[in-house]
Amino acid sequence: MRGLLKSMGVTLAVFARKPVTREYPDTHRPLPERDRAFPLLLWDHDLDEPFCTGCHACERACPVECMTVLMKDNPNHRTQGGDSTRRKIVDKFWIDYARCMRCNICVEVCNFDAIAMNNTWQGHETSVYDRADLIQDLPQLLAEHKAGAIKPWVPQ
Amino acid sequence: MNNDLFGFEINVWADAAARLGLIVGLMTVVVMGLIYGERKIIARFQQRLGPTRTGPAGLLQSVADALKLVAKEDVRPRSADPWVFELAPYFVFVPIFLMFVAIPFALRWEIRVLELGLFYVLAVSSVNIVGWVMAGWGSDNRYAMLGALRAAAQAISYELPLVMSLISVGIVADSFNLTEIVRSQGQVPNIVWQPLPFFLFFVAILAELNRTPFDIPVGESEVVGGPFVEYSGIRWSMFFLAEYAALFILALLGAAVFLGGWAWPLGEEWGLGWQLVLTALKAGALIFAVFWVRVTMPRLRIDQLMAFSWKVLLPISFVQVLANGLVLVYEPPQHIANILLAAVSGAGLLLVVWIMNHSVGKPRPRPVLSPRAATAPTATRSEAAR
Repeated sequence: MRGLLKSMGVTLAVFARKPVTREYPDTHRPLPERDRAFPLLLWDHDLDEPFCTGCHACERACPVECMTVLMKDNPNHRTQGGDSTRRKIVDKFWIDYARCMRCNICVEVCNFDAIAMNNTWQGHETSVYDRADLIQDLPQLLAEHKAGAIKPWVPQ
Repeated sequence: MNNDLFGFEINVWADAAARLGLIVGLMTVVVMGLIYGERKIIARFQQRLGPTRTGPAGLLQSVADALKLVAKEDVRPRSADPWVFELAPYFVFVPIFLMFVAIPFALRWEIRVLELGLFYVLAVSSVNIVGWVMAGWGSDNRYAMLGALRAAAQAISYELPLVMSLISVGIVADSFNLTEIVRSQGQVPNIVWQPLPFFLFFVAILAELNRTPFDIPVGESEVVGGPFVEYSGIRWSMFFLAEYAALFILALLGAAVFLGGWAWPLGEEWGLGWQLVLTALKAGALIFAVFWVRVTMPRLRIDQLMAFSWKVLLPISFVQVLANGLVLVYEPPQHIANILLAAVSGAGLLLVVWIMNHSVGKPRPRPVLSPRAATAPTATRSEAAR
């Protein structure tokens, strides 16, 4: 009987506490400083074009083959009347976030520091209604760094 | 042949139809609210949030569930007994609604004032066990049959303490008319002078409603839902509706009989709105207690359940009825009578607590094996079986 009353007290104490549930798609818990999520492409703010030259290094290195890269001649190159030093530039780029295993290899093999791991919550989000929505194309991959949403990678 | 309904002169049959429509509409809304409330409250007991996605704060969750249940196919097993299977939900459902007739919400706010209202409610409430057994038998399913028989055994066992507790209160109030019982409580509600009957009543309604810790007839881990295994869609939702309607009505009954109904502590002069608020608060407190017990207690075994009813609750309830009867016959002065009753009731409650302390929760003594039984033959047999 004392046990019963005690257990009733315990449940009532829990009732008075704040629920621990996070309403996941609406609210996210804060990310740790050095968190890395899915890869994304970086934007060269000086020349107003992506860093990526479409060299296929990441595509070849990717162990799960989640990337597809296409290259084109850079219309902004010096020889074409622009001010860029990149002779070739990325034309199309897809990353399938459903496949990516966040191994960081693409970041390590990149010769131009053009790809990096996302450290915002948008880079984590994999809850979608259609798997096709997880395949990111070039504008989507560039958008966040272009908008300045990416924090610096080296913590202070 | 005219009746008075909210001040309008109205034909008897139209009056009956109007009251029936009111009940059914009210019940549906109340049951939806109760289901939502239970999910929210139990979620808070487990530090969760409960339904949040459907409508503002999940308020429309019950509506969505009801729509889904109505849209589901109404499956009947081929080997089921068609008539018994199809009629069982009504036999569970209708008695619960009949109970509503005598329940008072506020002064002059009941369907009918019955002189034997308490008796009527008890009589009608035990009819629905027929529906449970019909569901179990008609489903042609062993789990359903087991669940139905468990439900029958449990309901019959706990009917007796329930009846006894309410009868002892009826003796104190000198009436079985629910309105009179509420009025007789005056300054002090019955729970103060009669704590033991209140305890018996609470335990018995937990068992009658098949709620934890007495939910063995519908225990998922043992009989996979009991008599409702084979039911789906609208018929299953009728069982569900009946269950929550019974919870609501028994809570209202408890509020009226033990907690002073609409009158205590404000008195009868306060307006209708206050009376309704009081009744709702008291019934809500009882319902909250039922949910609270549900999240706290584990399920009992069937032998523990039966033993608790027949060996503990029932004898003590007889003592209470006897004491109340003696007080009624010899009519001592009011304050002495109150003290006497409270003493008997409190002593009975302490006795129940003592018994629960000393017998429940202790392992039963193992039968001592004779030396012959413990030696070689048994061991070899068990090894051979292995």
